[in-house]
Amino acid sequence: MTLIIGVLEQGLIYGILALGSYITYKILDFPDLTVDGSFPLGAAVTAAIVTKGGNPYAAFLISALAGAAAGACTGLIHVKCKVRDLLAGIIVMTGLYTVNYRIAGMANVPLFGSETAFDNEWINQIPQGLASYKTLMVIAVVAVMVKVLLDLYLKTKSGMLLRATGDNERLVTTLAKDSGTMKIIGLAISNGLVALGGSVMCQQQRFFELGMGTGTVVICLASVIIGTSVFKNARWMKATTAVVIGSVFYRACVALAMNLGLETTDMKLIMAVLFLIILIVTADRKKKVRNHA
Amino acid sequence: MKKNMIAILMAAAVLMTGCASSGSGAGEDTSAQSEASSAEETSAEAADGASYTIGISQFAIHGSLDNCREGFLQGLAEEGIVEGENLTVDYKNAESSTEYANQIASDLVSGSPDMICAIATPSAQSCYNAAMNTDIPVIYTAITDPVAAQLANEDGSSVGNITGTSDKLPVEKQLEMIRELLPEAETIGIIYTTSEANSESAIAEYEAAVEKYGFTLETVGISTISEVSLAADTLLAKVDCLNNLTDNTVVQALPTILDKANAQGIPVFGSEIEQVRKGCLAAEGLDYVALGVTTGKMAAQILKGEAEASQLPYESIADSGLYLNTAVAENLGITIPESAQERAIETFAEISAE
Repeated sequence: MTLIIGVLEQGLIYGILALGSYITYKILDFPDLTVDGSFPLGAAVTAAIVTKGGNPYAAFLISALAGAAAGACTGLIHVKCKVRDLLAGIIVMTGLYTVNYRIAGMANVPLFGSETAFDNEWINQIPQGLASYKTLMVIAVVAVMVKVLLDLYLKTKSGMLLRATGDNERLVTTLAKDSGTMKIIGLAISNGLVALGGSVMCQQQRFFELGMGTGTVVICLASVIIGTSVFKNARWMKATTAVVIGSVFYRACVALAMNLGLETTDMKLIMAVLFLIILIVTADRKKKVRNHA
Repeated sequence: MKKNMIAILMAAAVLMTGCASSGSGAGEDTSAQSEASSAEETSAEAADGASYTIGISQFAIHGSLDNCREGFLQGLAEEGIVEGENLTVDYKNAESSTEYANQIASDLVSGSPDMICAIATPSAQSCYNAAMNTDIPVIYTAITDPVAAQLANEDGSSVGNITGTSDKLPVEKQLEMIRELLPEAETIGIIYTTSEANSESAIAEYEAAVEKYGFTLETVGISTISEVSLAADTLLAKVDCLNNLTDNTVVQALPTILDKANAQGIPVFGSEIEQVRKGCLAAEGLDYVALGVTTGKMAAQILKGEAEASQLPYESIADSGLYLNTAVAENLGITIPESAQERAIETFAEISAE
């Protein structure tokens, strides 16, 4: 049971990140590597706020804003300085390493002595029987809120333009809108969500570690691809829901692999193969080939 | 769509079971043994009838940390808790990833072992966090500063159901030894990884202590292993000797550093036995196996119910030992004083590549 709760907790946290990556990877078609930096950025900001006795829920919000600023930087570098998408992400990700270190002040900041969103007077009032679920409940509330807000945003005029930017930039231009601005907005929202995920993760694991961002982009993309591929034909399901489920599914695979006594060294290859299988099995081959020709 | 799902799940299952069996077949005795002994847990009971399960979460694959783990099991064995007899060990390695460290922690806790042993700081923090709402005690080792990691209070007492051992470096003794071996040296260089909390606190200690021994300190911080080479070039141009910490990343790149330093005839000092074996001139350092043994004995006390983890203050090894490598000294043309040679608890006459 603890294992299932653990999988859901971790899966939903990475689900928040995956929602962010969904915007860049699926909607904007922008391979964004900023996430490796904005994920620990959210955690660093949170560590700085929470250790000073700041409100842990406010830390969620401030982290998201910091992440949005990082995303906007990537966008500005790409759009205004005309740097290629991958490189723009790499530049910001690299710079964020220093920024994160400066914000946190140390390479490893423990939060065992501080109030977090999962452990404070207010949340500890819940009945004893539910105590082991309280972390999961808070995470679920945040994840669902993010998903619903994102769904609502995508229905607004700005959201429609964002989707159009990814599908057909010219259409956006003919509507007398600037597709560059839309890209910057998309990247800001995306990295805001990733940093929010970092904030939740930092408070859940109760420490900030400078190296915690390594490989985030892979986890995010895996979740997005698993989610959107597996539920591709489920028209009734929103893509955002599919992405969150994809993240939980990915986490479940990792947990299962560990439980079977697999070496962590073997894990990456297994994930890569699993990844490939999912892509092959779910691919609508005729269409794919034409798309990629 | 349903068919696809089933196909994916089946493929995943086949893949994982396939790899699982090959993994244990590859001679990784801990996993093989734990599988075997969990299958016949009831038969694996010692004379006093008690049998235990311990989950071990190790943060990285690393000589010193491996030694810690071995020592830990040795320490337990000395107290009559022997792996494969009355002890089942579930060992997991996080491959230097906090993501895996978290996953491993919740995985271990879900198995409700009698104790979790966490090796290195991030693993200890995630295990303590995961086990916080359970009654599973956590014992840690190889943490330089348990107070800074918030796993112990200022006075050394425990913050919760957790205790362990610290691998705090004997900084002053190391400096004294360097002075003894290199009476002329003025500048010591240290390469460290900015993301490693252990190294940060060690650097602070060195900074505070170098002056007393007439040295100045030059440090270069790196963020990934790929920067080690450049950092070594930078430092070697301005120092009389290099000094290594127990920094995981730098230790992994030790061959690069030794290669560059040897080319310029600059001695490199280590911080523990493994580094001296591999070609550092000398180290006034810890024996991680001994540290593990101490940890194992503490663990045995807790398992047998003689003590509570929350009541035991963390321990560090008081005595350091001098390790020398005479082959390195010969290559560098350095004569090691007799007093040091006599004092050394282990002297290597050759450089081992392993």
